Amino acid sequence: MKIENLGQCLSISDIPELTAVNSAHFRDEVHAVLPGSPSVIEIDLSQTRFVDSSGLGALFALYRATAQRNGVVLRLLNPRPEIQQLLELTQMQQLFEIVQR
Amino acid sequence: MKTLLICPAIRRAVPQLAEDGPLAAAPILGECIVSHWIEHLAALGASRVQVVAADRAEQVRAVLGDGARWGVQLEVIAANVEPTVAEAAVRYRPADEPGWLPAPHDIVLMNHLPGCPNLPLFESYTSWFAALLAWMPRALTPARVRVSEVRPGIWVGRRAHISPTAKLIAPCWIGDQVFVEPGAIVGPGAIVEDRSVVDGEARVAHSWIGPDTFVGPMTSVATSLAWGSNLTNWRSDSSLRVPDPFLLCSLARPPTAPAIEPLDHGAGASARAAGAPLNWIPTWPAPTPGVPESTPPS
Repeated sequence: MKIENLGQCLSISDIPELTAVNSAHFRDEVHAVLPGSPSVIEIDLSQTRFVDSSGLGALFALYRATAQRNGVVLRLLNPRPEIQQLLELTQMQQLFEIVQR
Repeated sequence: MKTLLICPAIRRAVPQLAEDGPLAAAPILGECIVSHWIEHLAALGASRVQVVAADRAEQVRAVLGDGARWGVQLEVIAANVEPTVAEAAVRYRPADEPGWLPAPHDIVLMNHLPGCPNLPLFESYTSWFAALLAWMPRALTPARVRVSEVRPGIWVGRRAHISPTAKLIAPCWIGDQVFVEPGAIVGPGAIVEDRSVVDGEARVAHSWIGPDTFVGPMTSVATSLAWGSNLTNWRSDSSLRVPDPFLLCSLARPPTAPAIEPLDHGAGASARAAGAPLNWIPTWPAPTPGVPESTPPS
């Protein structure tokens, strides 16, 4: 996983999977850089092949953490169709801005 | 009158529908396509039906039985490859043999439902879903007593359980022994096949839920085909095997394990002494991992 702080934008990429195995690590790493007060958080899911409920839970935890900071935009970039299906099944697509670039 | 039905074998556009059984046995509004066809042809006067199956013929045979259900003589013929109508005519219908239904009902390739030749079933998931929606008003034949139209455009199985707080929006089809739990919204354009469960606050719209499928609480199934843990978006053709059973999973029990040899004492010994068969003792398969405990008994 790669986390880049690009000024106002926090970019998270290279996530091969988001599951029970690595969701706690993902959550800890991202929460560690949140105090930098980014206005945009972009999570690049183009490399992500598999997400389970633990991964969804990690994304939801991030959503809750950013919801307490007014004006922070949480964006999911380029999720694969099957990941998008999972987001739709769980209605989590309503929480995030999903962008295909 | 005789007729011959050709089962579709492999259709590359819809692999999920043939994952657990032949396409001919894929469920469509409580029946399978071959059952719909036999019922239709029996109503046209067919008394002898031959079914040519190139894919898992034994499963087709198991689904259909001997045809007594429709009052016809039925024979399932296993073939190596799916014949075309012309090939089947040469192979199975002697020239000028009398007693066949008139064309096109003498030899039928079951690529569509009866009376819907313009709605191919297996060209894509989109075409499958469109054909099912169009078939909904026709599926309720006089022979089918387990489903009734409770309101215009809403068909519900007689043994279905619909929560008073669930909402059904026409057109929708709720199969037999389906559970729709509190706060769930089913429809419009929704088909929930037999023995499935739509749990509380879940939504199903413009979608088909296969038989024995659990749709978890607060999930949303839209423009999709869901069968077991497989979820296919019929609009984008994207497929996913949902990893978490509390979101979507199969409720079908695994095949029953071989019966345990009964102990030769107690009730078993008494029954054997009395000459009673011992195979009445029920065997209970191990619980399916991940099947929710709240699942009502089917």
